[in-house]
Amino acid sequence: MALLELRNVTVALGRSDTAKVILEDVSLSLAPKEIVGVVGASASGKTVLSRTAVNWLDPPLVRRSGSVLFEGRDIYGMKETEMRGLRQRISYVGANPMGAMDPTLPVGAQIVEKMRAVMPDVSRRQAQERVIELLAAVRIPSASSRFHDYPSQFSGGMMQRALIVDALVTNPAVLVADNVTQPLDVTVAAQVIRLIKELTDQFNTAVLFISSSLPMVREASTRTLVIDRGRIVEEQATEALVARPSHPYTRELVSQTPKIWRGTETLPALPEDREVVLSLRDASQTYRVKKRSGLGGVNLVRAVRNVTFDVRRGDSFAIVGESGCGKSTLMRLLSRLELPSSGQILCEGKDIATLRGRDLLDFRARLQLVLQDPFGSLPPRTSIGRMLEEPLRTHGWRDREKLRARVLKVMGEVGLAAELYNELPLGLSAGQRQRVNVARALVLEPSILIMDETLSALDQAEQFKLLDLFQKLQQEYNLTYIFISHDLAMVRKVCNRVAVMYLGEVFELAGNERLFFDPGHPYTMALLSAMPTLEDKRYKPEDCLLEGEPPSPLSIPTGCSFKSRCPRAMEVCNGVQPVLTVRHEHDFAACHLVKAEIPLIEDSVEGASA
Amino acid sequence: MFTLNFLIRRLAQGVVIIFLVSFLIFTLLRVVPGDPVRLMAGGMAPEALIEKIAKDMGLRDPIIVQFGRYMGSVVRGDLGQSFVRPANGASTGGSSFNDSTRGERAEVLTLILEALPMTLQLAAMTLAISLVFSAIIGIAGGLYPGRWPDKVAFYISSIFISLPNFWLGIVLALLFSVKLGWLPAIGYNGFAYTILPAIVLAVEMSPVLIRTLVGSVSSQMTEAYVSVGRVRGLGRTRIIANHVLRNASVPLFNLLGIQFSSLLGGVIIVEYIFDYPGLGLLTINAVLQRDFPLIQGIAIVTSAIFVLINIVVDLVATSIDPRLEY
Ligand SMILES: Nc1ncnc2c1ncn2[C@@H]1O[C@H](COP(=O)(O)OP(=O)(O)O)[C@@H](O)[C@H]1O
Ligand code: SF4
Ligand SMILES: [Mg+2]
Repeated sequence: MALLELRNVTVALGRSDTAKVILEDVSLSLAPKEIVGVVGASASGKTVLSRTAVNWLDPPLVRRSGSVLFEGRDIYGMKETEMRGLRQRISYVGANPMGAMDPTLPVGAQIVEKMRAVMPDVSRRQAQERVIELLAAVRIPSASSRFHDYPSQFSGGMMQRALIVDALVTNPAVLVADNVTQPLDVTVAAQVIRLIKELTDQFNTAVLFISSSLPMVREASTRTLVIDRGRIVEEQATEALVARPSHPYTRELVSQTPKIWRGTETLPALPEDREVVLSLRDASQTYRVKKRSGLGGVNLVRAVRNVTFDVRRGDSFAIVGESGCGKSTLMRLLSRLELPSSGQILCEGKDIATLRGRDLLDFRARLQLVLQDPFGSLPPRTSIGRMLEEPLRTHGWRDREKLRARVLKVMGEVGLAAELYNELPLGLSAGQRQRVNVARALVLEPSILIMDETLSALDQAEQFKLLDLFQKLQQEYNLTYIFISHDLAMVRKVCNRVAVMYLGEVFELAGNERLFFDPGHPYTMALLSAMPTLEDKRYKPEDCLLEGEPPSPLSIPTGCSFKSRCPRAMEVCNGVQPVLTVRHEHDFAACHLVKAEIPLIEDSVEGASA
Repeated sequence: MFTLNFLIRRLAQGVVIIFLVSFLIFTLLRVVPGDPVRLMAGGMAPEALIEKIAKDMGLRDPIIVQFGRYMGSVVRGDLGQSFVRPANGASTGGSSFNDSTRGERAEVLTLILEALPMTLQLAAMTLAISLVFSAIIGIAGGLYPGRWPDKVAFYISSIFISLPNFWLGIVLALLFSVKLGWLPAIGYNGFAYTILPAIVLAVEMSPVLIRTLVGSVSSQMTEAYVSVGRVRGLGRTRIIANHVLRNASVPLFNLLGIQFSSLLGGVIIVEYIFDYPGLGLLTINAVLQRDFPLIQGIAIVTSAIFVLINIVVDLVATSIDPRLEY
């Protein structure tokens, strides 16, 4: 008998006949100890489906018809108290770990509270022991002291693992996991999936694994359902689904999943002697943060450390790394939102720290930022046309006709209909909003665009369209792009040169093919092994997947800063910090394993790009 | 460890604040019109005598010298002696200018220490009444935003905020004391005398507390941890009692620290109306009598209390919410 079963469930936004239907006639079943995947684009109804499965529909969402059976009993027919008792056996983990717990109480105490709320017979001591045991099982380091830490002291990845503990602490029969890996870095996501699989084994829990990423679902589940606009369109064993998708939507999903090693088009080769447009010379940024203890003491956070590289005209330069590695700080340095605490950043040969007046304004027009959040960054009460005229006005444009003509031209180029000129941004989709953001950067005819996680909020199809657009614009206007991203698949598709960062340092600097086929740094290899793909991996997670998370930038290890997680660490790594070393003519890695021929000394900037 | 650091830092800041307040009051008292010696010696005293007394008391020295001398004794715990009050109690109008036996003047510290417990008792009573009342009304309002408890909270706080405290004091005194005879009103002769003035002050304090609670409780109810809590298996009552109220109380504590200073104004008026022998009444009399040392002493004591209360409030708030920085 199925453990959990959804029978012809329809959910709508309200009771009226005209209410929008979110889930239509959805059926699925989950056997004991099974991991079933559900995959679909954003807004396809995955979250509503997972909430339906755990009896957590809040108005305006209403279950119109159908039933959800747990061990054969309809959970929607139960009394409130009976349902609360069942929470011991049905658990849920969502995509937003940070808000899920009371910020003012220690994480451990809250898990204990939950355990004792659904299992009143357990003593506080027993509960505490079990929670610490499980925190250790999900590899939270020093679990018994972490038990007393507050949610704000946990990173996103650790909090997600704590919530998995919270879900599993009562030994549930079913775990519903809604996009749990979405907010996580690939390395941490890979750890979490591995963990969920181990735990189903260990604790006999069945999992409904819901995700917007087909490769993630493939990693986790044995059987997979595909959801498209609220309907289940296909269901197969996972491997068969990937190999022989039958529904057109599934085929599209499979074909849109980026390829890394097989069947990718190679990017057109660019001549090496192009002009250098941006150049970092030993740039570092150190922040002073007030200590919590001690009278007025400060901690030094070394967010970016001695970064040296060149970006040439026409490059699509990628800066990749896990969250907290210094990507965004580097972005702020490059765009002169902050000045480096040491070192220089040159734009077309001039130190940007020394720019003043007219020169500074020119620099600002030449280098534009496109930021991450397509929802927060648009003022809601300004029409789109007006919004796009804004940067032109600050740069001295006054003539109304010219303004309008320029804005309409750019809107056309980024694929926004001219009718949107007078509209407010309220009705726009995420993709359209991101286009407005791009247009806002483009109106000033910049030569360099910095994209800080610009595409990470968009789904695959929309990402592809924007990437195509970027490529077209690049050819037309000879633009230089700097992509700051944690998405290696996107980088593989569009970037000709990649810098891999870790704890504020560049670990590897290489061309696209070299980086993906012959990485020179163990960390790069670990990132590649953690990438969710549909192909066979070139680098096996068993060999190079990392444990844990990067150390705090407050206390950077001596020697190689990667040594605490490096599977290849040697004696020499303890004491000697490796420097970027040439591996092939144009590629560099900072690891003692690279047999150095010409070590890259700090002031030889030419070396980094030659 | 941080608590200790925090205490040292905040106490040091507090000393600076108290010092500045004293200096400000000291200077103001000496530049406003009205010569205290004239009041002490009486209207009939000859000019030369007044000058002599004033000189003897050091009142003709430069302000900064006077202030230095004053602070010198304050740090030794001596707040000086009242200009007008004799040690035996009743205040003197000072018609007898030839009676300048200064030893009989009351110690400022003694006067304050007699009045302070009365006011603290009144303040505690006020706090108890207003917290209990505001918690009931405010939490109910915050749990049902837009529904009747929210509306009740809104109307109650609107009405309370528009009642002048002196008017309310007089009406309550007439009603409960004169007409019904349930509670005593004027003077002090036992605990029951605190109740009416405390009610008046509580009415003054409650509206802000109620509105803060309604706002913080209702915004906490929309936090993710509340709805996720349900799926985790926590009951609604438990979520509200253990988590929502805990989080919602942080803004309330911060508010109490600020409210204290506005309460002070209310205390002066209410104590005056009810002839309640606390710090407020002492202040009014000291001001009317140009009793510089007493005004000065009261200012130091109240600003010290203000500093202490704010330290306590911040300690409580940070111990509830670890994200707050000291
Ligand atoms: N509480 C709600 N109120 C209004 N619309 C909602 C609500 N919940 C979900 N929807 C709508 O239902 C659709 C599916 O949402 P969701 O299940 O969150 O998608 P997914 O999780 O697949 O991204 C979306 O169009 C979303 O806007
Ligand atoms: S230098 Fe040593 S620790 Fe660092 S990456 Fe290379 S092998 Fe690993
Ligand atoms: Mg979702």
